[in-house]
Amino acid sequence: MGNTELAPTEVKNPVRRRRKRLNSDGKWGLLMVAPYLVHFIVFVLGSLIASLYFSFSEYDILNPPKWTGLDNYTKLFNEPIFWKALGNTLYFAVLFVPLQTILALILASALNQKLRGLKLFRLAHFLPVISSWTVILYVSDAFFNTRFGLANDFLTRMGLDPQTWLQDPQLVIPLLVLIAVWKGIGYIMVIFLAGLQNVPSDVYEAAEIDGAGTFRKFLNITVPLISGTTFLVVVLSTISTFQAFEQIYVMTGGAQDATAAGGPNNSSLVLMIYLYREGFSFMRMGYASAIAWVLFVLLFILTIVQVTLQKKWVHYE
Amino acid sequence: MSHSKLRKTVSYIVMTISSLIMLLPFLSTVFNSLKTYAQFTSIPPKWIPNPVQWSNYSEVWKLGPFSQYISNSAIVTVLSVIGGLLSCSMVAYAFARIEFPFRNTLFMVVLGTMMIPAVVLIIPQFVIFQNLAMLDTLTPLWLIEWLAQPFGIFLMRQAFLAIPKDYEESAKLDGCNPFQIYWRIFIPMCKPTFATLAVFTFMTKWNEILSPAIFLTSKENYTLPIGILSLGGQYNGSEQYVVAAALLSLIPILLVFLFAEKYFVQGSNSAGVK
Repeated sequence: MGNTELAPTEVKNPVRRRRKRLNSDGKWGLLMVAPYLVHFIVFVLGSLIASLYFSFSEYDILNPPKWTGLDNYTKLFNEPIFWKALGNTLYFAVLFVPLQTILALILASALNQKLRGLKLFRLAHFLPVISSWTVILYVSDAFFNTRFGLANDFLTRMGLDPQTWLQDPQLVIPLLVLIAVWKGIGYIMVIFLAGLQNVPSDVYEAAEIDGAGTFRKFLNITVPLISGTTFLVVVLSTISTFQAFEQIYVMTGGAQDATAAGGPNNSSLVLMIYLYREGFSFMRMGYASAIAWVLFVLLFILTIVQVTLQKKWVHYE
Repeated sequence: MSHSKLRKTVSYIVMTISSLIMLLPFLSTVFNSLKTYAQFTSIPPKWIPNPVQWSNYSEVWKLGPFSQYISNSAIVTVLSVIGGLLSCSMVAYAFARIEFPFRNTLFMVVLGTMMIPAVVLIIPQFVIFQNLAMLDTLTPLWLIEWLAQPFGIFLMRQAFLAIPKDYEESAKLDGCNPFQIYWRIFIPMCKPTFATLAVFTFMTKWNEILSPAIFLTSKENYTLPIGILSLGGQYNGSEQYVVAAALLSLIPILLVFLFAEKYFVQGSNSAGVK
């Protein structure tokens, strides 16, 4: 494509011509990129600075922010509920990320063949993906409603005690994780499927000649060869898990009463819900901004750790 | 041969079981939406509605401002899709094809901002929209999409980079300016990417909960997902209508998926490409 650069007019007077072109192009470039410039200056850079400032202030929206130095942060770190929210967030992530990743990889491997009904299988797995959390609430309620859900009916028929499911402080997070995996797995499965289809088939053929079975091939070829995709999936789902809001807001009653969103005894209170509650229910915007920044720094550290660790296990061709 | 047959059989079994796990909860929800209140709350629960109460679906429309919720969601979604496509593609064209000062730095910024969690920005955004007197209106929900979101820029830029330079060179000779080249040549050539981004923006906006929960206070301004939630606790004895309402809210997105499945899959894959 290099030779197309040399239009005949350009050869005659390259310097002048070029500078003029650059100028007009530069103007067009800046003009066309303007929406993002506004976005960045106002809604990203400006907001970041404001948010950092708020986190060092007392701010209730109605009155101008009052600088209080590190007060919000010291209060935050001395607040047992904050540590509980942090613990819940980590607990959720530690259960969710590996479970979803492993199950999605298994499903994608099953799907990575010329199967009949591929589209139907994909539709089935995408149905939860395309549903809003509101829809998922009513879908899971059919099973986990404490009074007339099918799960309790099953337990009582088996002669076991009915459970209180999402109202049970012990069960609420594992159950939320299970539902989240069920909802998100189709999406991750398709990402894995794309990764699997990039693995050259001759590698498998060579392994077959060496007498490797299906399980060996999966463990020794598939897993290392798609480790790049796996890494991406793990990083993306960790980030989204730490920001999980919608599911917990909807499923633990936050939509009716924000203070209820933490579940029984704050057992499903995650950082995002804590932030929402402090900021938008109690109008403690400064304190909420401090939570946001702690979350930001935490995610940043976590991503750095993951990127450093990837060198140990991600295999690039 | 028999080995690969065995593998296929196992795959079919795995896929069928997994598909059933995905679908059965929806089926039981559809059944729930067709029950009478007495049956809905019966203990032990009954799977199959008897009698089938189709009228639940017409009752939905009498549930508070349900049709208002639909039109609110439709406005937000349609405006977001239009704005997202226009702004992301225009910005992406500039990044892909025009030399302008600080282009590369700015593109690194785009990629970098994808890492900033939305939480850090949401409180200042609330303050901005409050100062613009846009709180409790639908405007904040779609306006921000008109300002080119990073994911869309990234997606469109990839598509534009794949177009050979020859096309724009000949257009330049014909006297087209960069905007005309973008509008007349690049947009028509990248329809599949536009479809992908449209489908993804549609899904995100139609299902969105966090922003409406923060920016909206009056019930009549609610969008569907939070509107339906607010109906939930309102009337006793109408849970089966609310379930029907939730399923109705799924229909538009299901239709989009059925017509544009290819683009859903493309978009999901592009999440993994980087």
